[in-house]
Amino acid sequence: MEDHPGPDTYQDIEQKKLNTTTVAFSPEQVHHAIEHAIHYLPSQGPIAVFVHHNTLHAFEHLPFELAVIEGWKKYGAEPYLSEDRYRQEFFRGRIAQQDIEQVLTMDLAHCADEPIVLGTTRYELRLAMLMHPIRNGPDEELRWFIAETNALRAFRDDVSPSLESKIIRSVQQWMEQNSQAVPASATTAPTAESGAEQWKSWTLEWLHRVCITGASVVGEVLNDAIPVRRHRDIVLGSHGIDCDVRVNEQLIRFLGSATDQGFAQWGLPDRDRPLFKLFQELYGIRSVFQPNWLKELSDLIAQDRAADRSSIESIIHSLKSLGLREYGLDDFIDSTLLSLPGWTGMIWQLETNAEWTPRPFRSGSLEDYLAIRLLLDRASLRSALGQIAELESQPSVQQGSLSMERLSQDLQFHQRRNVRQTVDQRAFILFQVAQLLGWSPNELESLSTPQWQNLMDEISACGTMERRRLLHLAYERHYRIEALDAIASQPPPPPPPPPLPGPGPASTNLESQPSESQRPISFQVITCIDDREESFRRVLEEIDPSIETFGAAGFFSVPMYFRSSSDAHYIPLCPVVIKPKHFVDEIGQLSKQELQKRQAEARRVLGHASHRLHMGSRSLAAGTLTSLLGSLASLPMVARVLAPRLTSRIRELVAQVVKPNQATLLLIERIWPETKADAGPAESAAPEAKLNQGFTLEEMANMVQRLLGDLGLHRFARLVYIFGHGSSSLNNPHESAYNCGACGGGRGGPNARAFAMMANDYRVRKILETRGLVIPESTWFVGGYHNTCTDSVEFFDIDRLAPSCHMDFLRAQAVIDQARERNASERCRRFTSASLGLKPTEALRHVEARGEDLAQARPEYNHATNAVCFVGRRLRTRGLFMDRRSFLTSYDPTTDGPGSEILTRILQAVIPVCAGISLEYYFSTVDNAIYGCGSKLPHNITSLLGVMEGAASDLRTGLSQQMVEIHEPMRILFVIESTPKAVLEILARNPVLDRFVSNRWVQLATLAPDSNRIEVYQDGGFVDYQPTSISIRVFTDSYACYHHQRDHLSFARLGVQ
Amino acid sequence: MVSVMNCLAAIVLGCPILTLLILGFTGLVQRPLPERLVDRLTKFHVAMGLVATLGILGIMIGTNHSMEVLDLGNFVEIGQEHFHFHLEFIFDRLSVPMVLMTFVLVGVIGSFANVYLQGDAGYYRFFVCFSIFLVGLLFAFLAGTIETLFLGWELVGLSSALLIAYFHERKSPVENGLRVWGIYRVADAAFLMAALMMHHWTDQGEFLRMVNDQPWPQGASHLDPWASLWVGLLLLIAAAGKSGLIPFSGWLPRAMEGPTPSSAVFYGALSIHLGAYLLLRLAPIFADSLVIRVLMFALGALTAIYAAMTSRVQTDIKSALAFSSVCQVGIIVMEIALGFWYLALVHIIGHAFLRSLQLLRAPTLLRDYRTLENAIGGRLANGQPAWISQMANHRQIQWYRFALERGYMDSMIDQALLEPFRKLFKAFERMENDWLRWLDGPSWPRRKDP
Repeated sequence: MEDHPGPDTYQDIEQKKLNTTTVAFSPEQVHHAIEHAIHYLPSQGPIAVFVHHNTLHAFEHLPFELAVIEGWKKYGAEPYLSEDRYRQEFFRGRIAQQDIEQVLTMDLAHCADEPIVLGTTRYELRLAMLMHPIRNGPDEELRWFIAETNALRAFRDDVSPSLESKIIRSVQQWMEQNSQAVPASATTAPTAESGAEQWKSWTLEWLHRVCITGASVVGEVLNDAIPVRRHRDIVLGSHGIDCDVRVNEQLIRFLGSATDQGFAQWGLPDRDRPLFKLFQELYGIRSVFQPNWLKELSDLIAQDRAADRSSIESIIHSLKSLGLREYGLDDFIDSTLLSLPGWTGMIWQLETNAEWTPRPFRSGSLEDYLAIRLLLDRASLRSALGQIAELESQPSVQQGSLSMERLSQDLQFHQRRNVRQTVDQRAFILFQVAQLLGWSPNELESLSTPQWQNLMDEISACGTMERRRLLHLAYERHYRIEALDAIASQPPPPPPPPPLPGPGPASTNLESQPSESQRPISFQVITCIDDREESFRRVLEEIDPSIETFGAAGFFSVPMYFRSSSDAHYIPLCPVVIKPKHFVDEIGQLSKQELQKRQAEARRVLGHASHRLHMGSRSLAAGTLTSLLGSLASLPMVARVLAPRLTSRIRELVAQVVKPNQATLLLIERIWPETKADAGPAESAAPEAKLNQGFTLEEMANMVQRLLGDLGLHRFARLVYIFGHGSSSLNNPHESAYNCGACGGGRGGPNARAFAMMANDYRVRKILETRGLVIPESTWFVGGYHNTCTDSVEFFDIDRLAPSCHMDFLRAQAVIDQARERNASERCRRFTSASLGLKPTEALRHVEARGEDLAQARPEYNHATNAVCFVGRRLRTRGLFMDRRSFLTSYDPTTDGPGSEILTRILQAVIPVCAGISLEYYFSTVDNAIYGCGSKLPHNITSLLGVMEGAASDLRTGLSQQMVEIHEPMRILFVIESTPKAVLEILARNPVLDRFVSNRWVQLATLAPDSNRIEVYQDGGFVDYQPTSISIRVFTDSYACYHHQRDHLSFARLGVQ
Repeated sequence: MVSVMNCLAAIVLGCPILTLLILGFTGLVQRPLPERLVDRLTKFHVAMGLVATLGILGIMIGTNHSMEVLDLGNFVEIGQEHFHFHLEFIFDRLSVPMVLMTFVLVGVIGSFANVYLQGDAGYYRFFVCFSIFLVGLLFAFLAGTIETLFLGWELVGLSSALLIAYFHERKSPVENGLRVWGIYRVADAAFLMAALMMHHWTDQGEFLRMVNDQPWPQGASHLDPWASLWVGLLLLIAAAGKSGLIPFSGWLPRAMEGPTPSSAVFYGALSIHLGAYLLLRLAPIFADSLVIRVLMFALGALTAIYAAMTSRVQTDIKSALAFSSVCQVGIIVMEIALGFWYLALVHIIGHAFLRSLQLLRAPTLLRDYRTLENAIGGRLANGQPAWISQMANHRQIQWYRFALERGYMDSMIDQALLEPFRKLFKAFERMENDWLRWLDGPSWPRRKDP
């Protein structure tokens, strides 16, 4: 609220108007204002590469609670769930009374016990307002409510009978003592013989009257309201004409054409010219059929052209003719650009951040867009004013009262004004609070004006936003307590092993006596840290307790541009913050190259043919031909809809003919010196790709060493599996969002495959040996790919497995297959279309069908429900049922150096990535219509860049309703196995991480490496956490825990008979 | 034999009506059935209908009958007013293929929607509208009298408008739904006038009587040339409104507001052909009127060219498909005008299937493009036809703008049709206000001051 100046009167404004005559803005001012606005644009790029990021990235420099309110002011989006929703959660038991009390105590700290009025403390007042819904509404609604309901005849339902009788008793006593001074009232005062009902209604009426008196003596209270910023808002408010509708309709079409990446068969002519020029050409055309406002527009364009204005000059001119003054310029430009946030953001993305797209924008496009938008706004506004003047051609409406000048004055006034609460509204809130706290009218009547003022101030300080903030804190607290309790209840960590005799093979000698630290490991699995892999790892460990699992960011520290043997382009496979330097190709094996060439040729011919068909079906002549034969389309349609899984099987069989052969290998090694770059095998590759093809042995050794170090993996089983992950689904424009975030929205299979190849290379191992990292000869790494949608698992390069490992491999494969089924079964409990009693094999078939079903709007739930990120050894969380809600990052504090180098680099990757995911889910859930992209059902892909809702709308960013419907919006809780000291040091050295933590965008706790002691981050330090006494649920295995349950499940300990 | 046919015909019509009644009634009394049951009910009834239609087709082929009539008598009859509402259904070479197509498409879309809309707040609403739509379509396709056809036509219109406005919590679906409804009303008005004229001139609305009881496509009308010209013109307007021919084409892309399956089956594939079907059904009546046929051909040709051009500049998949549909309907109308009725029938059915499949998998566009790019090994050419690139630059820009604005059709309708109405109503409002002010004295508040 601070940034709003106090209310000005109209006279003030008039005065100021005289002082500041219309100014011509300088280009610098405009540039500055545009730069200011850019921060607020959504930063989601073309949808084919979807990267989760904090929706309110622009506000990260602010504390979370302030930022969400700023977001509300800027975008009109909800900062938290609704108050009603939190109350529902309260009744459901998801928020406990204790949570609210604790949160309130913490929040008020030492001022909790300050008395407000009538012996009520601030704590009591706020608690009452938090625990009970406070109704409010427009005056008319309140008057209706009071007149037509029994608001003045009965106490609120949630007022306890004892409190009720206390109030009435107090009134009765007072009446006995002061029978002369009975307040004047419409109804006669009840007497001792009157019934309870009469007393009740008399008391309430008196109470309401007192509250009105109180409300009218206090000063004005500002309501939470979004200020008016543009001329359009005023015309909309006063005459109900929304000037934006037609402007947006035009702009959506124009921008669709201008940004089109190759969908339209007839593209914008001369598309490469600046946007502003394109617009002038196209919209300078006049035609008799045009509606009036477009004629106005072509006049404006003609003026601009006559004066030969550039886009920035046109902006300055437009601002001047709109009567804008310096005060409020930033706000005006922000909201102008934010009236179509999705499209505007996409222009900026195409201008700055999408050089990989077929048709990026030149720089200066956003400025051009602003000029265009202002021209359209002016034309629409002028025409609206004409319309109003015409419709209201009554003598009483003063001529020119709605001129642009008048409107711009209105705008100036509104920009400084805020909506005020009326007396009725204040009185009604007071009336409710009085009932809840048991204040009787006779007591209230004794309050002095300053006391009323104090009370009103206190109540306003706990307005709806504040209440929602506190309820949200309680909501988060409840889960945090559960999570920390569960972790604290784990068995304490084993004492640190005695220092190893040396980095020799002794540590890997599996045949020696199995002591606690040397029991045999059947195999090891490395997956992404993804929350979806939590259950996969857990069931693997459940099936065979001697399996070890690890989690690392899913690009497995192999950043690369990758092109598979059937792909046309390289795609980056690493987090978006890294720009890979190396190019890796997948090529056919030597013996299969002839076959592959033929297949590629067949694919090319078929591809051209189907592209023709695709285009032709939409044209005139070819379209006729295709639709005459269209009845043939009924076959695939019926088959795909009625039997998706079977159809996909058949399609796969047919596609075998042209499908790229599996017999491929990755060119990960730099096989020719850089000087002879032009001699590379990849003829079609870009020159840059040739130059940086593959990695040197040294680089490979570095990557392997780094990942193994991060994982704390130093004892190797015979087989080490490493699974990248991704997801495939049909009819899903957001498909890329379901893939691996650490691979920049790509599928992580190639990274796993590359890593395994590197770690298996004996030369790499030799280099590692010189550095003290010994991978035993018997150990073999197997790369794989886990499809999180269909739960299929694919292994790479298994033909190169030594025969001695074959039995181990087959045994492991059986275990993994079983794990896939169990994982699918656990996932299915969330899908309402899968019945709860599915057997694991049926569950696997169900999820396989989901991925192939055209009709499926929820192929999987992606990161929905994510809530925790654990960084530490698996043994600290092993055996804990975490309900697929936790990212699990492996980190061994006992092997990290004193400077915590390993933890630093892990946190540098994990905190921004997980916080980005968690916050995007948070915002898309609390306001799906504004921060999210709404329901998926009417989505319409446009320009190959993004989705619109229905026929034409803004480009929608964020996550869809179907993706977040089961999500619980909370800031992610990081639990790091380390000491507070080490974590604080890391934060001090890394301002980016510190911003997340100290501004409370994430929650943070540490778990001591040598005990179960937990400390929670709070205001720059850590405080000790005392686990509650509630004991954790215990089950034999995961299945017993989630069986026949759809809802979120709390933590549980598994493996106990 | 006849009784078997009647039974089958009753199943074809009865099953969808039963679904509608069950769904509608349980919805009305606020006891909606669970989703699973709705799904089973719809599937069962559609399957029954499909099997029964196949049975009818089999009997018709086996007995070499080319027509079966199910006469339900008069629904309403007011003797002295010469008014009667005659319910009669014809199963013939035109209606049976259309009904078969309807059942297949509606059945597939029904099971698609059951998964797609699962858990959505409007699931039940969708299926109620869906069964209204199905009943309407069957009535329209099987109608033997013009009043029965009108009944079906209205039900289709109503359910279509409701489904466009499916997401009624947002503004634009409701606005677009209203717009489509408005255009449908124009078409309805023309249709109703045509029906009345037909009754006036021939004293009946039975198609068969009009063509001397000859099965479609034989027979010729005995309307006098002027009558058939007027009736034909009005029916052409009705068909243009319902099938999105010019100048009404603008509604079809706007109809893409609902969930994907409803756009697919309703506007992309079935509703859009209803106008063409009307022309096809009545084609024998106008076979002799050269004026009507020339007009029809011109309307179809202009629509096809206009839509082909407009669809090329669309950058979103649903609008592009919508205009391609309009283009094909234009061609179908041309075929009817030229007398290629069977070709038109095959065209309608093929087009409906193709478009439904394309619309159903519209959201998978990005993936399809990627697959194609990978197969071809490079960026896709957008296939701009040569005649466009050969145009002079300023012409190209002019035509591009024309296509981008969708031929200004919507704004022309606004100016020519809506604006006069608005002005009239505003004038009434002013008159009413003046009148009230006069009655009430000067204290009457005119409007809330902003």
